[in-house]
Formats: sequence, structure tokens, C-alpha cells
Amino acid sequence: MDKKTRDNLLKLFQGKLDEAMRLYLEQCTRCGLCTEACHAYASMGQIKYIAAYRHEIVRRIYKRYFKGRGKVWPSVGEAKELSEMALDELYEAAYSCTGCRRCMMYCPFGIDTQMLMSIAKLLLVGAHAEPEILTMLADTSIEKGKSLDLFKESFLAGIKKLESEVIKKWRIEAGETAIPIDVEGADLLYVALAGAHSIIPAAAVFNAAGEKWTLSFFEAVNFGAFVGDPTKTKLILDRIIKEAKRLKVKEVCICECGTAYRVMKQLSGKQPFEVSAVTEAHARYLKEGRIKLDKSKFKGKPITYHDPCQIARNGGVIDEARYVLQHLTDDFREMSPDPRYNWCCGGGGGLVALGEDTLDFRMKSAKVKVDQVQETGAKILATACENCHAQLNDLNGHYKMGVDVQFLSSLVADALVQ
Amino acid sequence: MFTCTKEASVEIVYYIVLVPMVYVACAVFVVGTIVRLVKILLEPKHPTTLQIYPEKRPRWLWALQDTFLFPTVIRHKPVFWVVLMLFHIAFLLLIIGHIELIAEIKIFQIIPHEVFLGKGFVGLILCLAVLYFLFRRLVSPYRDLSVPEDYYLLILLFLTFIFGSEMDWARRWYGYDSLTVDGYREYLSNLLYLKPYVSSDLTAPGHSFMLLLHVFFANLFLIFFPFSDFMHSVLSLPMNKLRRG
Repeated sequence: MDKKTRDNLLKLFQGKLDEAMRLYLEQCTRCGLCTEACHAYASMGQIKYIAAYRHEIVRRIYKRYFKGRGKVWPSVGEAKELSEMALDELYEAAYSCTGCRRCMMYCPFGIDTQMLMSIAKLLLVGAHAEPEILTMLADTSIEKGKSLDLFKESFLAGIKKLESEVIKKWRIEAGETAIPIDVEGADLLYVALAGAHSIIPAAAVFNAAGEKWTLSFFEAVNFGAFVGDPTKTKLILDRIIKEAKRLKVKEVCICECGTAYRVMKQLSGKQPFEVSAVTEAHARYLKEGRIKLDKSKFKGKPITYHDPCQIARNGGVIDEARYVLQHLTDDFREMSPDPRYNWCCGGGGGLVALGEDTLDFRMKSAKVKVDQVQETGAKILATACENCHAQLNDLNGHYKMGVDVQFLSSLVADALVQ
Repeated sequence: MFTCTKEASVEIVYYIVLVPMVYVACAVFVVGTIVRLVKILLEPKHPTTLQIYPEKRPRWLWALQDTFLFPTVIRHKPVFWVVLMLFHIAFLLLIIGHIELIAEIKIFQIIPHEVFLGKGFVGLILCLAVLYFLFRRLVSPYRDLSVPEDYYLLILLFLTFIFGSEMDWARRWYGYDSLTVDGYREYLSNLLYLKPYVSSDLTAPGHSFMLLLHVFFANLFLIFFPFSDFMHSVLSLPMNKLRRG
């Protein structure tokens, strides 16, 4: 690696050094408490998947360039040069970590592996060594934000075709629109994913609850966050914030996408609207009596629920999902007695978006998740995240789990009492 | 011509370790710790929360619990937790014991005890705990996670504890009473009031070698403290606060 490239990468590294990052980088006693925390280590038993081992990949570079000790006596802390080989190690560490932050529940200091891996991902972006597909998807999202008019008509036509499907789930009064779009003064802006499965059930539930809602032109997913590029993450986020402000909505409701929810909830800053996950909205409608669900729909089919890491452990939406599930079934089976310790599905951090490239690793690294699901004896495996759903579906096929993987919102829509 | 006898050379070494090196070590410890802490805490705050849910309030109280009672350790590694707690409690007693070697502090005598407190078991627990930490690191996967610094620091701690403890054990368990508590207090209080005085009691044969090595390694511990993972004693609370939100 030439000096100029290294200097540029070190500038990127420097830019990530805030108080929290310094603490995470400066303090690890390598006690190994986090050993059993990672699903990849628990499933595959390889040391490179231990959280502390991943930390050290980043920390060794930090020690070499940002600590006096690393310059004077590098061997004492195994400080390491930033080289091509180091980039390979960073890639391996960052793209085998789903950012689930389960290891934070083991570390006596609460070191955030996802934060440290965000440095690794940023360095890879700086060296143009990141997974190209994620950057391309992020760029597409940004471009869509810049030139909304170009795709507006085709988007509206596509949505129109979905309306009959929505009406099948919930009849609406004549003159009402099944999927309202671009409604100024609506109470709620729903940000979906590019896919009917993310729009139809949600629309049916909003209509059933009598919500004054409108569908966003943009998809919720933030590929900028997956690839670890803070600039792109912000640009993708800003499109939705701008739209929400333009429509003067009171609430931005994010579809079943963990990363999108966490980014919007925690990165959008102080805004004139609230941010919610669609599961929260559904729980609210049930509490307020705005929707009713028919439990008999899933009779004889025990349901278990996979807490998406970014929504539950990292986003705080835990009880709401259970409240919804209480209204769906009398046979709900918890996976973990403490949702903070629920195993990650193994699909986060952009791994599912990388498709076939990561499939083998995703299947091997999530064996503990499969065991956890199977121990419940449930027939329906519900979740509230696109990535988790895709990964759990893959696991279901690979391990022949014999469960029906469902979005929680779909179960709600299917059980609506007219 | 200036000539230096062997005895004089030894006395110089004793003096350097027992007086100027102690001052240097204390200065590095205090200034280094403050500078490192201030440098970290002056960095901009992270723009988003880094907490884990569900949250519990008051957050600061839970962060204190995480810092001092290690709940994540007892949940996952109960045996390790027992050793960690014994080590940290013994370390706290060790600090109190050393303060009592400077002067009599009445509040510490709420539970009446002989100085040095612990009847020799404080040092014993610390030595055994450090050996446990050290040998634990020789086993996979902890061996694969450790860096040389981790071993060096534990060896340094062990050396500091073992030589300090030996003086305590000799006095308590083997009736060796040449160096009394008053002797320690004279030396340490004079150091504190910047009137260093190394009495002949201190350098008398029998214990002086142990004392010299104990103080030497303790000085190294203080010097390395701000630049090493010993800083977890200071950084653990702000880190746990981040996790609690």
C-alpha cells in the first residue's frame, strides 16, 4: 500500500474517533468473556469469530498509528501496519459480523463490536475494497432521492396494481384509496421496502385502524449503513426526512427492516415527527381497540418470534411484538427467556444483501439459531425484519426446519377481523 | 580520586528506588491518568445512543452496578466472577492497608484490625488470583486473544504482590518483626510530606531486599498504569454508562 493511500485511510480512521470510539479502542482486557457471545463462534468454533479477536484487528492498527506505545514498542500490544493484508483481515472481520451487538451483553465493559467494525468498513470503502454491490445499491438509493420525478410515474403505476390485493385483506369504503401516496397533512408516513410483501399487509392494517397515512416514495433500507459509509447513510436517510417534513406528517413509521428503523430512530436527530416501527404501530392500534385480530386463524400452529437485533436489543421494540403476538395466538413460544440474549439470525450487517456470496457462511454460522428455533417446537416462525426473514427462510430450506417463516405484519393483516 | 564502595553503591540504589523513583512513579501515575482520561472525555460525544435495550432506570445506578458487580461475568462465567471479585476486593483492601501504612486513619478502624489488615490473606488472595489470570491466558481461546502486554502486566502485578506479601507474611506468620508498622509510617509519611528519609531500619538486612523489590515493581506498576489496560479501573464506568444509555 502506498503512503498516500495509507494516509487517506488513516484520515478516515481519525474521523471516526469520538469519545465512545476512543473508549472502545483503548479498553479491552482480552478477558475472553465474549467468546461464546457470537453466533458465528458458537456455531463454527473458529477463534476469528470471537468478538475480542475482531476488535483486535482494528485495535492493532489504532495502536500503531494513534498511540505512542504502538510507535515506540509495537510488539507489546501487537500493533500492526495498515497494509493490503490488514485490509483482508478487516474485510474478514467486518463482513462476518452482523452487528447484532449480542457480545455487548457479555463484555464487562460493554465494548460495541459493531462500532469497531464500522471503522473496518469505512477503511474498506476508502480503499475501494468493500463489497461493490452494497455501494451500488446505496448509490442507487441516493440517485433516486435526487431525481424523484424520473421514476414517480412508474412507481405510482406499480402501487396502483397492488391496491386490489390490499382490498382483499381489508375492504375499504367507496372513494377511499387503498394505498394513499403523497398526501400532505397525513398523520403517518409509512416507509416500506421495494416489494409488495412490505406494502400490502401494512396498508391493510393502516386502513383497518382508520389511520390517516401515506406511503413514502422511498424504500426504507439503508445500504449506506450496511456498507459502513456515513455520508451515504445520511444522504439516504435525508430523503425520507425531507419527504416527511414536506408532507408535514406527525409520525414516520418504518416497515419491518431493522437497520432502517434503527438508522431513522437514532440518526435522524430532533425532528417535528416521531419515529416508530410498524410493530409499534400495530401494538398501539390493538391497545386503542382500532383493530381486532382473530386468534383462530393460527389455531394448532404454535408461533415463535425472532427478535430482530436492530429492532429489539438495539432499538427497544421488545414488548410491543409480544403484545401483538398475544392477540394472534394462545400458543406463543419464546425462544430465549431474556430477549437481550436472543441469537442473531446471521443475516444482518449486509450479509443477506450479499446473497449467494455469503450463503455458505450464513448457513454455517447460524446453526445455533436453527437449534434455538427448533427447541421451541413452533410451526410458525415470525419476525419483523426483512433481512431476518430472508435469512430465516434460507435456514428453513437449508436445515429443513419445517417451519412457516412469516412477517409479523403479515400475520396481523391475515388475522384482521372485518 | 572518588571511590565508591559496594555498600555505598547499594545504598544509592536503595535511595533511588525508595525515594526519587517513587516520586517519579506517583507523578507519572497522577498526571498520566488525568491526561489520558481528559483526552478521551474531551472528544466529541457520539451522535447516537449506544445503549442496549430494554433500558433500566436510573441508568447511572445500573452502570455503577455493571462496573462494580460485573453482572455479565457472573451470568456467563461464575467461577471467573468469584476470582475477579476476590481479586478486586483484596485490591481495595490493599489500598486501604497501604494508606494505613502512611498514617493511622480512624475511620478505617470502624472494624478494629491490626495494620497491615487482612492477616496476610489479602496478599495471598491477590497472588493466587493473578496466577489464575495468568495461567488462564495460556489456554485456548484466551491464549489466542492475548497480546504480550497482557502477560507482562500480570507478571508485574505478581512480582509486586509477592514481594510485598512476603514482608507481611514474614512479620505475621514467622515472627519477623525488625521492620515495624511505625518504621513504614515514618518512611511513607516523610515521603508524603516531601521530607524523604530512608532510615537504617528500612535498609537493614533481612527484609530490605524484599522491600526494595516490592517498591521497585510497585513503582513500575504506577508508571505503566496510565498507558496500559490497568486503566480499566477508571474507564469501566463511562463505558458501562454508554451501554446503559
